[in-house]
Amino acid sequence: MSRLFRCLFAFMVLLAPALAQAAPRAPVVLAAASLQEAMNDAADAFARTGHPRPVVSFAGSSALARQVEAGAPADLFVSADEDWMNALAAKGLIRADTRADLLYNTLVLIEPAGQHTRLSIEKGFPLSRALGGGRLALADPAGVPAGKYAEAALTWAGVWGAVKDRIAIGENVRAALALVERGQARMGIVYATDALASNKVRVIARFPRASHPLIAYPVAQIARSDNPEARAFLAFLTSPRGKAVFRRHGFGTR
Amino acid sequence: MLRPEDWGVVFLSLKVSLLAVGCVLPFAFLCAWLLARGRFPGRVLLDALVHLPLVLPPVVVGWVLLILFGTNGPIGGLLERTFGLTVMFRWTGAAIAAAVMALPLMVRAIRLSLEAIDPRYEQAARSLGADGPRRFLTVVLPLSLPGVLTGAILGFARSLGEFGATITFVSNIPGETQTLPIAIYSALQVPGEEGRVWTLAAVSVALSLAALLVSEGLARRGTKDGHVL
Amino acid sequence: MSFDVDVSVRLGAQVLGAAFATGEGLTLLFGPSGAGKTTILNMVAGLVGPDAGHVRVGGETLFDSAAGIDVPAHRRRLGFVFQDARLFPHMKVRANLLYGWKLARSEDRWIALEEVTRFLGIESLLDRAPRTLSGGEAQRVAIGRALLSGARALLMDEPLAALDPERSEEIMRVIERVRDELKLPILYVTHDREEAARLATDRIEVRPL
Repeated sequence: MSRLFRCLFAFMVLLAPALAQAAPRAPVVLAAASLQEAMNDAADAFARTGHPRPVVSFAGSSALARQVEAGAPADLFVSADEDWMNALAAKGLIRADTRADLLYNTLVLIEPAGQHTRLSIEKGFPLSRALGGGRLALADPAGVPAGKYAEAALTWAGVWGAVKDRIAIGENVRAALALVERGQARMGIVYATDALASNKVRVIARFPRASHPLIAYPVAQIARSDNPEARAFLAFLTSPRGKAVFRRHGFGTR
Repeated sequence: MLRPEDWGVVFLSLKVSLLAVGCVLPFAFLCAWLLARGRFPGRVLLDALVHLPLVLPPVVVGWVLLILFGTNGPIGGLLERTFGLTVMFRWTGAAIAAAVMALPLMVRAIRLSLEAIDPRYEQAARSLGADGPRRFLTVVLPLSLPGVLTGAILGFARSLGEFGATITFVSNIPGETQTLPIAIYSALQVPGEEGRVWTLAAVSVALSLAALLVSEGLARRGTKDGHVL
Repeated sequence: MSFDVDVSVRLGAQVLGAAFATGEGLTLLFGPSGAGKTTILNMVAGLVGPDAGHVRVGGETLFDSAAGIDVPAHRRRLGFVFQDARLFPHMKVRANLLYGWKLARSEDRWIALEEVTRFLGIESLLDRAPRTLSGGEAQRVAIGRALLSGARALLMDEPLAALDPERSEEIMRVIERVRDELKLPILYVTHDREEAARLATDRIEVRPL
């Protein structure tokens, strides 16, 4: 019995130094889940210039913003939409002078590879008929940016009412992509970058620029960050070398 | 088959789960004890509170932890000011999330084993000269040991699988808070990463199965020997 | 004088009471089931608290409501032998026997493990687990465990009730020897007439209220 206690005690004592460790010096970047491949490539490219490789945490923009609100020890925040960045700015949690629109994206209508639907997107286009009996995969329009943009675009085209009962909601845009990849949904609306990343889907058409609000990924340094590497990485992201990485993944840059 | 970074994920998961179970075990025992033996006002409330993580959506638990343990939160702020300890975005924070989610399962297992102890053994110990603490150490604790071990292993398995509360509370930081389920989630986000998903999922299944089998074995041994370990 | 007891306790709407003083040997609390014999024994042991009265054993006051004395059960040095032997299932026979012995102050220990095992004929059982013992063996170990705890008297609550006639006879002989050779005062609860006739030095009738 007392042996058990001694083991437990030793365990606690051994853990104590681990608990007291300092945070890593590489900048901690909170990035929207849809940036996973591109941001990892950018972090690798930054590391090749002699800097420590940034530590990147990918999750939903909303979850990441909540973590910043709670005082997360992070350095940079890259949001998938302006709303969350605005919310943090209003609370003084980001450094306003470091905020920039890092990337732009566009929306595309996709179908599983091997299909050959011909459809051009304009006001009143026959989306409902093209779906047949199938479903249209979207990220959740209630809260996920990609879903919100898709709803806005379909409303602009005047077809939202006709298809809104036939959508298949993904928890995020990559889940919507997977629904189309597996043929669970007849078509889907995702970012151009998602379509480019997958060889199991085919782009039917691109949504016109005017059909939805500007899809921008704002970046900013978090107010409590004092890591000089964070500034360096931010500068790299907006440099020609950084932009080239993102363009390779299908993003637009200024 | 496993890449070096995958091994890192596996070891991190084990480390997080071990810390979670090790630290929450005494607390779980105390709760189980109070629920099994205690007769006090608020007992029903404690029961409900302990079971809350079992029935709440894990994201809600993560969000509450974020508010409490965040650097701006009441507990997180206190830890940071007094001990210079940050749990947010640290593996210790992941352990806190796992511990909270594992607590109800552990309390249930320990409580069952405490309730199964015949109080007449304690009466016998009392007549032989054992005071309260000694009765606890020599009779109650050893007789509840199978339940404690089962609870610890169930809690460990639950910790290994913890996702929602963890990603909400401490994010998805490779090498720090990216545990097995979160690594699987991340790999699922990337087209063409199905191979990694399969590998990590297989490791998950193997670890959880092993834990549950050990727990099952202990439970059976416990009944066979009349709680002898 | 061995036991000097005068206690009462309220149990729901009823009041249970007993008053008696005993001499040497084995004193029987005799009466039908449900008369409250076990409760009286528990009050002597300190497992149930009387509302009023006193309990003295061998001249020492263990409970006195008027004087505000209430020695806790674990310090009364009264060996309790239950109907079911209640050996600790997670300990071997040896550890069961030594459980109370280790807790007793050295000046209170009056018998050694070797003596007890020889006296009770349980030398060969020391390394066995309780669940492997027969009912008679278990009860002998339970008596040994009570003796080794430094008990100044024994309280026995129907120790033969769970045994078949043969085992019963075996344990009855052990109890007689404890009474006659070890000269330990015993307070003994039973509802069995034959047992009562054979063991009792003294006998107190307990009637249902």
